[in-house]
Amino acid sequence: MAAAGVDYPSGSAQSSRNNTGGKLMLRILDRLEEVLIATLIALATVIIFVAVVHRYLSGIPFFFPLMSQIHLSWAQELCVYMFVWMAKFGAAYGVRTGIHVGVDVLVNQLGPKSRRAMILFAMMCGALFTAIIGTMGASFVISLMDTDQVSPDMELPRWMVFACVPLGSYLMCFRFLQVAWAFWWTGELPHHDPGHVEGVIESPAVAKEMAP
Amino acid sequence: MTTAFIFGLLIALMLTGMPISIALGLTVLSYLYLMTQVPIEAVALKLFTGIESFEIMAIPFFILAGNFLTHGGVARRMINFATSLIGHWYGGLGLAGVMACALFAAVSGSSPATVVAIGSLVLPAMVNQGFPRRFGAGVITTSGALGILIPPSIVMVIYAVATGGSIAVDPAGRRVLSASVGQLFMAGVIPGLILASMLGSVTFYRAWKNDYPRMKKGTWMDTVRAFRESVWGLLLIVIVLGGIYTGMFTPTEAAAMSAVYAFVIAVFVYKDMKLTEVPKVLLASANMSAMILYIITNAVLFSFLMTYEQIPQIMTNWIVERGVGWIEFLLFVNLLLLLAGNVMEPSSIVLITAPILFPIAIKLGIHPVHLGILMTVNMEVGLCHPPVGLNLYVASGITKLGITELTVAVWPWLLAMLTFLVMVTYIPEMSLWLPRVLGML
Repeated sequence: MAAAGVDYPSGSAQSSRNNTGGKLMLRILDRLEEVLIATLIALATVIIFVAVVHRYLSGIPFFFPLMSQIHLSWAQELCVYMFVWMAKFGAAYGVRTGIHVGVDVLVNQLGPKSRRAMILFAMMCGALFTAIIGTMGASFVISLMDTDQVSPDMELPRWMVFACVPLGSYLMCFRFLQVAWAFWWTGELPHHDPGHVEGVIESPAVAKEMAP
Repeated sequence: MTTAFIFGLLIALMLTGMPISIALGLTVLSYLYLMTQVPIEAVALKLFTGIESFEIMAIPFFILAGNFLTHGGVARRMINFATSLIGHWYGGLGLAGVMACALFAAVSGSSPATVVAIGSLVLPAMVNQGFPRRFGAGVITTSGALGILIPPSIVMVIYAVATGGSIAVDPAGRRVLSASVGQLFMAGVIPGLILASMLGSVTFYRAWKNDYPRMKKGTWMDTVRAFRESVWGLLLIVIVLGGIYTGMFTPTEAAAMSAVYAFVIAVFVYKDMKLTEVPKVLLASANMSAMILYIITNAVLFSFLMTYEQIPQIMTNWIVERGVGWIEFLLFVNLLLLLAGNVMEPSSIVLITAPILFPIAIKLGIHPVHLGILMTVNMEVGLCHPPVGLNLYVASGITKLGITELTVAVWPWLLAMLTFLVMVTYIPEMSLWLPRVLGML
């Protein structure tokens, strides 16, 4: 991932004097976000893999006594919740890496000034939308806290499961503002490269070697 | 009127360049807030439940599996296998490029990545052998798109998800359920092979006519060795298709198994990837999946709005009253999707248009699987045609040709793809035959 782990200049000269502490906080937040989503996708994969293997081993008489003591009926549910959490926080991370693409045919036709205004407007719409969703989500989660609704298989309190919506959306809102801020000062947007492939050799030597 | 308002707003918001997911969400919020009395809380609930389904989770797993194998080393093995098998025919390396693209794209699942991985190896070699640069660029740009059609295909999962909840009735008035992921995957096999051979034939013909260089025929031993090296990657398709077909796995489980398999192959068998590089792949896959899942969440909101306003039903009735047949309708669908393919990426197009097109198509007697394959092929063509095809941009980066020049270069193959599109559109059996013979329909 080209843009992973890049910190965006959080403003120009102004910010340099006031907050190294703030920068450290930002960096910790960035790392947390990355570690969280990467861990979630890895764990979800492992869980489903184990559940499938478990199902097939239970079918073999030799393993049955061992396997029948382990119940993995909650695996699917846990996997879904992990991915929902991954989706919410990953969407915030995606704003930082510029993976959320839109239709840019019109924007690219505009002059530099109106283009800049249009991009900032789009960013602000993103911030507005995620702020609204975050707030709606927060009030929904708070109303759930008063109930004792639990999830069907794991019997987790539902508000815990849904807490990812306000948290993820507010984080996403913050990311939109962050990117807009960086764009305002530097004129640069994070850019995601869809054609990035590891281990590609672009040397004439290899090409020669392949030629008969 | 409401329809015009909703779509007008959506298009206006999209044209500002904001992410498509945000444009969808904002359209729904502003419409509900301004024009209806629907409590916004009802919408909030949709946001939570929108992606809470195990079926959708096949998408992150397939992305992860693909990313493990999207590596230059895997591409090199596929190229070696393809050249050792058909490199001595007319078209030589170009023809082998088509085959390598088909193989790699099927495993990696990403079209632009295929263009880069195969292209950056095959193109310099082709130029070295005396092929014109344009010829190579045309071959790779179009063949790179094959991955969308050859299973496992993420666009197909998205189609199944997008149409899953639709209420649709066929001409006889019976309720029709949407296509399953397994049916779509199986249905994609034959069209995928046909398209690959059509692209291959164009390459063959042009190379034969211009007498481009061919490669020496390799020995049998070379072919066997190249096959043994590339087979580990190719087994991924077998695991997915075989697992789903025999009922060993659900599609999502098959996706998770293929992700674990791809990890083992990339790290321990091919050793292209060090264990320390795995977190990077995980992060990149999480990033890509979260983006798609976020669009899905907002598309669910949008289709909630559609259903609430009964827009699909209104459109269906309107079309049936006009006496439009399936032939005209599919022509319209193709034009619409090709147009949309100019400005948007595949998953968004399918998520927005499928819930609307699906009930109409069913009412006109079109099979859900047929519509799915048709939409998938359209997405494929959309990646390769100007002005905004993603493959063109990526190819322009590695070939150092301008977009205009590339547009000219891809023409012969693009024409073949368009012919293929017409065939898929009007010969439903092309998509339906295999799943039917296998008893999956």
